[in-house]
This record gives sequence, structure tokens and C-alpha cells, in this order.
Amino acid sequence: MQRRFLLILRVVLAVVFLYAAYSKLRQSWLLFAMAIDAYGLLPQWAVLALARTLPWCELALGILLLTGFWLRQAALAASLLLVVFFGVMLRSYAKGLEINCACFGLGEAISAITLLRDGVLVLASAVLAALAFRQGRAVKQI
Amino acid sequence: MLAVWTVSTQPSKSAPAEIVKSVGVSTAPISIEVFSDFQCPMCKTLYEQTLRPLEDDYVAKGKVYLLHRDFPLPMHAHAREAACYACAAGRIGKYEAACSVLYRQQNVWSVDGKVGDTVCSVLSASEAKQVRAMATDPKIAASVDHDVQLGTTAGVQQTPTMVITYKDQRYPVTGAVNYDILRRFLDQLLSK
Repeated sequence: MQRRFLLILRVVLAVVFLYAAYSKLRQSWLLFAMAIDAYGLLPQWAVLALARTLPWCELALGILLLTGFWLRQAALAASLLLVVFFGVMLRSYAKGLEINCACFGLGEAISAITLLRDGVLVLASAVLAALAFRQGRAVKQI
Repeated sequence: MLAVWTVSTQPSKSAPAEIVKSVGVSTAPISIEVFSDFQCPMCKTLYEQTLRPLEDDYVAKGKVYLLHRDFPLPMHAHAREAACYACAAGRIGKYEAACSVLYRQQNVWSVDGKVGDTVCSVLSASEAKQVRAMATDPKIAASVDHDVQLGTTAGVQQTPTMVITYKDQRYPVTGAVNYDILRRFLDQLLSK
């Protein structure tokens, strides 16, 4: 039962990360850079570096989650990444910034719905990480 | 600034008389529609820090055609009035001057509500009289509504939103976009 639940969480999160990567990689990385810049958190060099690398990181995480390789590390990294995304979006929403979330490409403004969706993903990734670590410990004890 | 703002009236059968506030040549390879609200702080940043250099570097060189669209948000008490005054000023060829002063003194008229006085401060007495009369003209209000309708149809949800069009491909971009990043993107499009 737990293994099936773990598998479902893995696949759902993998699909989310793969789609997020695809939606960014299919368009110019500079459009994503503009979206990151709108958050007003990073200097320009960091915005450009993040816009170039983040979609590839999301792709790598999606593949790792889907295949189950380095599951604990991938689940932990996914959790940390989603917590950062959620924190940044929450800050922007609280400040009343009318900007795109840039979660899945362009055209989606930060709203209560995007925050709720991201919150659910944070929770799902945290549960996945906890289950993956617990399963890892059980295997070692055997 | 080399670019010149033009205001023309394009009557349409289905829509009220449309006031097009454009700068540059309509045959430019890239067109950018800017949906903005005069009372929105990020629109001020976009206008002053991005659109101004864009006009000098791209619009004046015939690479970009820039269209201004009014998208006053309901939460901004004086935004619609400001849009009407800017359009009215546009009717006498003073759109650029009205935009400039509205953004420059945004923090003043946003508080005291003296939109008309702000716009008229950059006009002569006779121009001010004309603009004050036209700002309450239903045709001007209809043109603002028409811009809002265009934005809603284009999926605009927030201001400022730029819709960049190149070879029939549309790229919506929101927020006070950094000019340097926008410049890189436009160069990337033009090099395709």
C-alpha cells in the first residue's frame, strides 16, 4: 500500500517537474528571465544564470523522480525547490505584486489558486521525501 | 527622444471610435502592445526605465512599433480618469506630454485626485481648456473601454502587460521588465 502511494507521488511530481521544464525550454530563455526579474529579488547576472539553468534542473529532477534513481536525494531537492518557489510566490502575493508566477511558462498570474497548488506540491514532495527516507532506513535494517 | 507619438482615430463599425496611441512605423518587424494603468507603480517603472530607452534604440530605428493601450484597473480610483485625460491630450497631439507628467507625478495625483490639473500643467491655457472638455466626452470613455476590451480578449490579467508580436508569434510579458533583458530578447528575435 505504502509502496503504491510512494509510486503515485513519484509519478505525479515527476510529471509536474517535466511539464514545468518543457514549458520553459520550448520558448526563449530570455522570456523566463523577464519573469524571474519581475520578482525583483535577484541581481541581473543571477536572473540570467537562473533562467538558463533552472529548467534543466527541473528536467533532471523529473527524470530522477520518474526512474526512481537517487530517490531520497531527488525528493529532498524537489522539496527544497518547491519550498523556495512557494516562499517567493507568497512574498510577492503578500506584497501585492501583480506578476506572473512563471511556474509553467507565461501568462499565469500569482493568485490564491497558484499558491494553493504550490502548497499542495510542497506537501506532496515532503511526504515523498519522508517516505523515501523511511523506506531507505528499512532496507538498511534488513 | 527621436520617436514621435502619433494619435489617430480609426472608426470601426462594431466598436466605438478607436484612438490608437502608437509610436514608430507600423511596418516594423516587431510590434509591442503595452497595456498599462497610469496609477500602477510598476507601469511607471516600465514607462520611465524601459519604454523610454526602447523608443530611442528600437522604435526610432524602425525595428519596433509600439502601441499604448489603456487598461485602468478598478482598484485604482483615478486610473480611468487619467486614461481619459491622456486620450483627450492625445487628440490635440499631446499624448506623450500627458503620459510623461502623469507617470512623473503619479504619487501626487494618486493621493489628491487632481488628474486634470496634473495633465493641464504641461499644456497651454487654450489646450488645457480643450482637454478638460474632451476628457468627459463619452467617445473618449468609449475608447478607453475599447482598449480594456482588447486587453481582456488578449488575456491581460495585470498591468503592465506587453504583448510582443514577431512573425505572427505573440509573447505576453508582464511586469516592469528590465530593459537590458528585453533588449537581448528583441535582438534574439531580430536575428532569427
